[in-house]
Amino acid sequence: MADPTAPLLRVEGLIKAFPNLIALDGVSLDVNPGEIVAVLGHNGSGKSTLVKVLAGAYIADGGTVSLADGTGLHIIHQDLALVGELSAVENLALVKRTGPSGGAPIRRGAERERTRELVSRFGEVFDLDAPVRALTPAQRAIVAISRALDGWEHPANVIVLDESTESLHRSEVETLFAAVRRLAAEGAGVIFVSHRLDEVLSLAHRVVVLRDGRKVADEPVSGVDHTRLVELITGSSAAAVAGAPAGARRPGAVPALRVRGLQGGTVEHLDLDVLPGEIVGVAGVLGSGREAVPSLLYGATEAAASEFAVAGSDHPRRSPAASLRRGVAFVPGDRARLGAVRDMNARENMTLPQLRTLTGPLGAISARREREEVGALMTEYGVRPSLPDQRFSLFSGGNQQKVVMARALRDDPVVLLLDEPTQGVDIGAKAAIYEAIERAAAAGAGVLVSSSDAKELLRLCDRVIVMRDGRGAAELEGPDLTENRLVSEGYGLA
Amino acid sequence: MSTSRSDILRALSFRNISAVYIFIVIFAVFAIWIPDRFLQPGVWRSLLDAEALTGLAAIAALIPLVAGSLNLAVGAQVGFSAIVSAWFLSKAGLPIAIQLPAVILAGALIGLVTALVITRLRVEPIIATLGMSSILLAGMAWVSGSQQILDLGPDYGKLATTQWGGVTVPVYVLFAVALVTWYVLERTPAGRRMYAVGFNPEAARLAGVGVEGIRVWSLVAGGAIAALAGALLTSRINAGDPTVGPSFLLPALTAVFLGSTQFKGGRFNVWGTVVAMYVLAVGIKGLQLAGSPRWVNDLFYGLALLLAVALSQWESTARRGSAVGRVLSRIGIGRKG
Repeated sequence: MADPTAPLLRVEGLIKAFPNLIALDGVSLDVNPGEIVAVLGHNGSGKSTLVKVLAGAYIADGGTVSLADGTGLHIIHQDLALVGELSAVENLALVKRTGPSGGAPIRRGAERERTRELVSRFGEVFDLDAPVRALTPAQRAIVAISRALDGWEHPANVIVLDESTESLHRSEVETLFAAVRRLAAEGAGVIFVSHRLDEVLSLAHRVVVLRDGRKVADEPVSGVDHTRLVELITGSSAAAVAGAPAGARRPGAVPALRVRGLQGGTVEHLDLDVLPGEIVGVAGVLGSGREAVPSLLYGATEAAASEFAVAGSDHPRRSPAASLRRGVAFVPGDRARLGAVRDMNARENMTLPQLRTLTGPLGAISARREREEVGALMTEYGVRPSLPDQRFSLFSGGNQQKVVMARALRDDPVVLLLDEPTQGVDIGAKAAIYEAIERAAAAGAGVLVSSSDAKELLRLCDRVIVMRDGRGAAELEGPDLTENRLVSEGYGLA
Repeated sequence: MSTSRSDILRALSFRNISAVYIFIVIFAVFAIWIPDRFLQPGVWRSLLDAEALTGLAAIAALIPLVAGSLNLAVGAQVGFSAIVSAWFLSKAGLPIAIQLPAVILAGALIGLVTALVITRLRVEPIIATLGMSSILLAGMAWVSGSQQILDLGPDYGKLATTQWGGVTVPVYVLFAVALVTWYVLERTPAGRRMYAVGFNPEAARLAGVGVEGIRVWSLVAGGAIAALAGALLTSRINAGDPTVGPSFLLPALTAVFLGSTQFKGGRFNVWGTVVAMYVLAVGIKGLQLAGSPRWVNDLFYGLALLLAVALSQWESTARRGSAVGRVLSRIGIGRKG
């Protein structure tokens, strides 16, 4: 090893451009031995691109990444890249074998001993022979970190932890943080990429904030407080005004959707009323339960609730089919996998949820009526190219989403549930989708939008529920509905 | 509706109707090679008749496959139903009017049991049907004592051998079943939902499709059609033969997979299946007439199955969806996408 005070990792002027976007615009970053650097930023700020460039998954268009002599760089991705069915011992052995060659017999005893030694550095040793999927998320993270450590010749390496706290329960975060502190104390450099502001402030020595691909701050933790961080992340001061609250809300009407005590997946408890004509947003960081709400309400994933009513009447047994019959429509966030059947054409996808209205005598689908109706829908929602028989997968992302929206709105739903309605969609399609959502609300539908895009929620919603740790933590409306409040409530800084 | 020149060209392209071109090549080769034996009307009539049962077996495999279940038990289903047909007539002494519906009902029940194993016990279709296949083979051996069942009475044999206009009954049955299947798959909401379930069960479920019900009904329908093929098989050879049924599996699946590359751009479909089945049969017949040994059958079907899958993979790389590729990738042995 060379100079002990020189940076272990030096990133200089990193540039990465995509066709419509500059994801990294001259980002520089140093990591010193024993230092924990937190990298913060919103969705689309360039955080994940930075990690991918460091991991070698993307090739930078400019700039350099250099490591000190003999320093290793290890990336621990969000999903940890462990094999769930294998034990901790086996997961470690996948990367580094104890035997001399691939064909040599496995030395189980030696492997288990080495795993125990590595894991014990981070506290109590857990069951190393259980499949890792049976471990707690924090234990899994420790297995992943141990695997990265395995084979370090000296402690001064750089480890990048990519948002690995988000699947962790609060109590487990401390376990993981203790492990990270331990690493740094031994001389490693740590880059910690996270959504959780307050926790990161307690862990990191230095904070780097990215916004729109640029580094907007690189300061010691002691120099920033919560308010300042939120300002840095959003780029707007706390006094900035809210977006335009549109609104066809009908106060006093019977709620289109009324839920008490919704529970399931990452959601622990949520009460919710959506009035006809109202657009209600659901915000929150990943893992807060925000992303699960629409599919729970639709019955796509198993959910329990003490009270659940659609347009005033009880809706106890929820499944997608039952929800559709009640006039509840859903646009999933994972368009490619769940939004539509990729191998069918646009016409077949649009009419799939409701085919009975198209059948004639002998139960056949009337090709003429189907064509007419689909043609009208494609014109109404501006799907391009307007080819009903083109395979769904061949449309662009924005036009795929228009097809899915048109399908959801085809039968004038009472409740419209949207999960990330404009993810991966170009600007033009975005405007068209917003317009479609607003028209649905104007026609009297109660709309619920779950989104990670604060600007989108400000643009669309009358009211936003901010979720944190599986619960509705705040409800913002009118002058309180600002990007600043959305972010600070989401991070639990208010 | 207007049909442009490019639509016609696409409809006639090799990729869309390769089986028709392959048929022309096969026909030309044998017509030149062995014209005296190959170009006989009797040969063609018997071919049409003999392969009608393969066609029924293929449709019995096709229907569940559209909804995403690869059925490896289809040969055993045909064979078991053939034995049960004979047993009902000779040992139980049932009249044909009761025996025939009873056989078809039994076939539907076998389909139902398979479906429940798949949907309730959550066993992968390929494993579930492999297990069912073995159980049915055991059942066949048990019922028949591994012997032919004879004494079916004087009338049963006429069922499959009666001719109308020079064509035997099974051919009419095949085309009637194919027509109904085509109508349901291509024209009705049920068929639309079956394809959706086969392509992407999760997305279909979110679109309000009752995925489990569709899976169950498609296997029940396939079981009933396999039983019909079995009943006609016993009539055709006028005996319950425990060895014949299982040999229907490979030709049936080959026809379904090769058929998916025809007409509908990568979708499993009825007419593609029927055409592919007859094209393969003509090839076999020609080889037999030219004096090749019997093992050439197996070689031919094996090669044709591999070719059909390769052909569909090639199609999927050309941005056309491939039914075969999806089935393979679902069971973890194919390319992604």
